[in-house]
Amino acid sequence: MAKYIVKRILYMLLVVLILSFLIYLIFDLVPFDRAKWLVEKQKDVYKDNPEGYQRAYLEFRRRLGLDENVFVRYLGWLGLARINGSYNGILQGNFGYSYNFSRAATEVLSEPMKNTVFINLFAVVLALAITIPLGIFCAVKRGTRRDTAVQVFTIVGYSMPTFITAILFICFFAVIIPIFPVIGMKTPGSNYTGIRKFFDQLYYMALPLIVMTFCSLGGMTRYVRSSMIEALSMDCIRTARAKGLKENTVVYSHAWRNALVPVITLVIGWFLSVFSGSIMIENIFALNGVGIKYIEALQTNDYEVALLLQMFYVAVSLLGNLIIDISYGIADPRVRVAK
Amino acid sequence: MKKYRAARLVGLCLTLPTMLSVVGCGEKKRENKVILGNITELSGDFRFSAFEGSNPGAADLDVFSLTNGYSTMETDKNGTYHWNGTVVKSHTEEEIAGADGSTDYKLTIELKEGLKLSDGSPVTADNYLAYILACSSVVATQAGSPAMAGQAYVGYDAFRAYDGKNEGAGATRIFSGVRKEGERKFSLTIDGPDYYPYYYVDIYGGVSCYPVTAVLGEDVEIKDDGQGCYLSNNWYASESKTEGGKQVTTYHKAAHLNSARYDTSSYPYSGPYKLAEWDKTTNTATLKINEYYEGNFEGQKPRIETVVYTKVVSETQFDQLKSGAVDVLAGLTGGDDVNKGLSLVKEGGYKETHYDRAGYGKIQFECDFGPTMFAEVRRAVSYLLNKNEFASTFTGGYGSLVYGPYSRNLDVFKTAGGKDFEESLNKYEFSTGSAKQSLIDGGWVYRADGSAYDEAAGGIRYKKLSSAEATKENIAYKGVTSEGAAYRTVKVGNDYYMPLVINWFCTENNPVSDLLTTYYVGSNNLSGVGMLVTKTVGSFTQLMGEIYRSTAYGYSGTPTYGMLNLATGFTSEIYDYSYNWSVDPAYFGYSACKLFDPYDYTFAYKDHSGLDYDAAVESGGNKLGMDYLSMGMVYSAQKGNKEEFAKWWKAYITRWNSLVPEIPLYSNIYYDVYNAKLKGMETTPFRGVAETVLYCSVG
Repeated sequence: MAKYIVKRILYMLLVVLILSFLIYLIFDLVPFDRAKWLVEKQKDVYKDNPEGYQRAYLEFRRRLGLDENVFVRYLGWLGLARINGSYNGILQGNFGYSYNFSRAATEVLSEPMKNTVFINLFAVVLALAITIPLGIFCAVKRGTRRDTAVQVFTIVGYSMPTFITAILFICFFAVIIPIFPVIGMKTPGSNYTGIRKFFDQLYYMALPLIVMTFCSLGGMTRYVRSSMIEALSMDCIRTARAKGLKENTVVYSHAWRNALVPVITLVIGWFLSVFSGSIMIENIFALNGVGIKYIEALQTNDYEVALLLQMFYVAVSLLGNLIIDISYGIADPRVRVAK
Repeated sequence: MKKYRAARLVGLCLTLPTMLSVVGCGEKKRENKVILGNITELSGDFRFSAFEGSNPGAADLDVFSLTNGYSTMETDKNGTYHWNGTVVKSHTEEEIAGADGSTDYKLTIELKEGLKLSDGSPVTADNYLAYILACSSVVATQAGSPAMAGQAYVGYDAFRAYDGKNEGAGATRIFSGVRKEGERKFSLTIDGPDYYPYYYVDIYGGVSCYPVTAVLGEDVEIKDDGQGCYLSNNWYASESKTEGGKQVTTYHKAAHLNSARYDTSSYPYSGPYKLAEWDKTTNTATLKINEYYEGNFEGQKPRIETVVYTKVVSETQFDQLKSGAVDVLAGLTGGDDVNKGLSLVKEGGYKETHYDRAGYGKIQFECDFGPTMFAEVRRAVSYLLNKNEFASTFTGGYGSLVYGPYSRNLDVFKTAGGKDFEESLNKYEFSTGSAKQSLIDGGWVYRADGSAYDEAAGGIRYKKLSSAEATKENIAYKGVTSEGAAYRTVKVGNDYYMPLVINWFCTENNPVSDLLTTYYVGSNNLSGVGMLVTKTVGSFTQLMGEIYRSTAYGYSGTPTYGMLNLATGFTSEIYDYSYNWSVDPAYFGYSACKLFDPYDYTFAYKDHSGLDYDAAVESGGNKLGMDYLSMGMVYSAQKGNKEEFAKWWKAYITRWNSLVPEIPLYSNIYYDVYNAKLKGMETTPFRGVAETVLYCSVG
C-alpha cells in the first residue's frame, strides 16, 4: 500500500509539473501587458515627458522579466531561473503577487479561503446529514408517495439556478419574513467576541448556508437513492433477508456498505470542494470568499492570483483522487491494492 | 411516533433561525451611526493616496478621505480648491529667480499651533514634508511608487537620483526646493519653466498630512541645514548583493512603506475619523470620531459617532436599504433603479438627493487613420445619432446631454456664460440631410471605381485620398466583420479611394453598445447616406490595446477600429488637457484621440507660447488649434485670472465641438437615496457620500 501511495505521489508531481506549464502558458497567451498596465497607472506624471514614459515602461518590462521567453519566465515563476537578476519563485516561497491589491497573492487569498472553507464545511456536513438518510429512505420506500414527493422536491432544488434560489430565499426569509439579514458576514459595526461573535457569524451565514444546502440536496439524494436501489436488489441482500436479519441491519450493514463505493467518490469530492468558492452565492450574499476573488482576478487580469488558485485546485484534485482510490479499498476490500 | 418525530424536526428547523435572528438582532435602538456601502470591495489600502500613481479603488478612497485630513488645500462641494484655514496660519507666494535663469514660484506655508493627530501627537511641518521626501526618493521607487510626489519642486531630479551613496554630480541627498523653515513652517519652490507659470500653480501647495512614522518609520529624521530638506541616513539603509553578475540593492525602508500602506492600527490618523476596526474577514471598516480633529477648511467637524463601511450588492441593494444593512444607496442611475429609489422615498422613511454627473458616456474616434480621421465623417456620424432619444432611453429619463468635454457643474462653465455659451455650440441634431452634406463637403463623392457617386443608386461612398492622406494605414484600410469585408481602399489608376466603412470596437456586456447598435449597425439612415458601421465586440483589455496600440493587449499591429465607446469624468474643477492634442507622435501615449489639428501646424504653441488669448488669436489669424488652446489655457493664462482662462476654455470647447473627436452620448443624473434619520446629506458631483458624512448628523 505504501509503495502504491509513493508511486501515485510521484505521478502526481509529474502531472502537477506538466499542468503548471500548460496553465502558465494559457495565462501567458492572454493579451495583456503588465508593464504597460503599471506605467499607465503613472501616466499623469509623464504627461510632458514621453521619453520618461517609455523608459519607465522598458524598466518595468525588464523588472518583470517580460523580455525573456515564456519558458524562462515559467522557470522564473517556479524559482528555477533568474528574473531581474534573482531567483524569486515558488521554490523560494514567492507564490505570486497581486497587482490589484499590491500584496502577495497568498495574503490576498488567505482570508477568503478561510471564509470559503468555513461556510462550505457547514454546508457539506449539513447536506450530507440530510441527503444520505433521505436517499436511503427513498430507496427503501421506493415507489411510495413519500419517495415521489422527495424526488419532486429535490429535482426542483437541483434544477433551479443557484442565483434564482438565492434571490427567492432572500425575498422570502430576509424581506417578506425578515428572519435573516439580506447580505453580509457580521452585524455592521459590531465588535463581538467569543461565542457572541460565533453566533453573529452563524446568523449571517445561515441564509447562504440554507441556500447552498437546498441547492445541493437533489444531486446527492438521487445518487444515494439509485446506488442503494442497486445494492438492495443484490443476491446477498435477499440472502440476508432470508436469514431473518433485522431490516435495519440489512439496510445499513449490508446494502449501505455495497452502495458506498460509488457514493464515496461524490462524498469525498464534496469535502474537497470546501476549498472552492461559489461565485453566485458569494456575490449575492457579499461573502468574502475565493470564488469571487478568482473571478475578480480573471476579470481584472490579476493573473498571478488566478494562477495560484488554479494550481491549488490542481493539487487538491490530484490529492482528492488519491484519497478516493484509497477510500475505495477501505470501503470495499475487493478493490484494495495488495502491493 | 414517527409523525411526532417529523414535527419535532420541522419545529427545530424553524426555531433555530428564529433563535439566531433574535441573537443577531438583539440591539435595535437608534445609534449615532451610519452604514455606508459601495459595490466595490474594500481592500485595506487606506493609508496613502495614489501611492502607485493612480488612486486606489472607490471604496478604499472613501475610507481614505474619512480618515485623512488637514491637507493644506481642500476642495469644496463644487470641486474648487481652497486654502485650509483650519490648518494654515498663513501662506505667502512669491516669484523668485531660479538658478537656471528661469522664474520659480515659492510657496511658504505656516501651520497653526495646537493641531493634533488622532493619538494626540502634535502636527508639525514634518507631517507634510515626510511624504514629499519619501515618495520622491529611490526607496519609494523600489516600493512600487513612481516616486514623483515632489516632481514639481526645484531640485527634484537630483534628489530622486540619490541612492544613499552617490552624492555628486547629478545626485544629491538634499531636496533644494523643499525647505523646513521651522517647527510648523515649510516652503516649496515650484520649478520654472516646466511647472511655472501654470494656471493651477496653487495646487502644488496642496500637501497632505501623514503620520511621520507611517511614512518614514521610527528611526528617520527630516533635516534642513539651510540648503534644503533631506532624510537621515537610515532612510537609505540597504543591503547589496551580486546576482547573475548584477548588483542588486534592497532598501529596507521599501518594505516598511509597503507594510505601512496596509497597517491600519499602528499609526494615528489626521482625518475626521480614525479606523477603529478593519475586518479583513468580512471586508468591513468601522470608523470612530477622531476627537482631536479640528475641522475641515470650513471648520466643519463630524457629528456622527460611528461610520461603518461595507459592501453593497447591486441585485439586493434596495433590500439592504430597507432592512437597515446600509443607510445610503449612492449614485443610482437608470430608470429602473431611480424609480425604485423614488418609490421608497414616497413610501416614507427615506430621502433623496440628486445631481448631474460630472462626466459623460461617449463615442471616441481614432483620428489618425481611416474615415474617422476626417472631421466631416465624424460630424456625419454625430448627425446620424438621435442623441436626445439615445440619452433619454439609456438613462430612463434621468439624464441629459452635453455638447463638448465639460460638465455644467464646472466653475469655468458658469464663468464662460453657462447655458448661453452652450447654446452657441453645434448640437449636431439628428439629420440625415446634414450628414449627407457633411460627407459631400468632405469629398466623399465617389464610387469604388472612381466614378461620381450616384445618389439614386446608393451604395457605399468613397473618398479620393490626397498624396498626404494616402498613408500606409489608409492604403491598407478595410472593413472588418462579414458586413465590411467586401470594402477596402482601392487603387484606380494612380489614385486611392477609401470606403466610408467605419470599424467600431465595443466591449462585451455593455448596455451602451447594445443601444448604439440599434442606431448604427444595419441602419437605413446610414445606408441612406452611403455609410457602413461594422461592430466588433471584445474585452476591455482589447479596447485598451486599440487605444494604446499595444500588441501585448491584443492589438493586431495595424490600426483597424476608428470608433470606440467608453466614458469619462471630472473629479475636480481642474481642467488641464495640455499635451492631449500634441501633434508630436511621441505624445500619442497620452493623446486619447490621436487628433492632429491642422491649425497647430501653422501656428504651433512651442513657437508662439506666452501670449494672452487675444494676442494669440490675432497672431494666429483666429486659427488656434486644439494643442495651442489646451496648452495656452493652463500655461498662458495667469493664475487667478478666471476671465482670461474662460476665454481659452470657450475657444477650446468650440474648436472641440467643431472637430468632434468624441460624441458625448449621455450624462446621467445621479440619485442618492438614504435613510431619513440622516440630516444634512447634500452630495454633489465633486463631493461624494463619504465626504458629505462630515456635514451630516443622525436625528
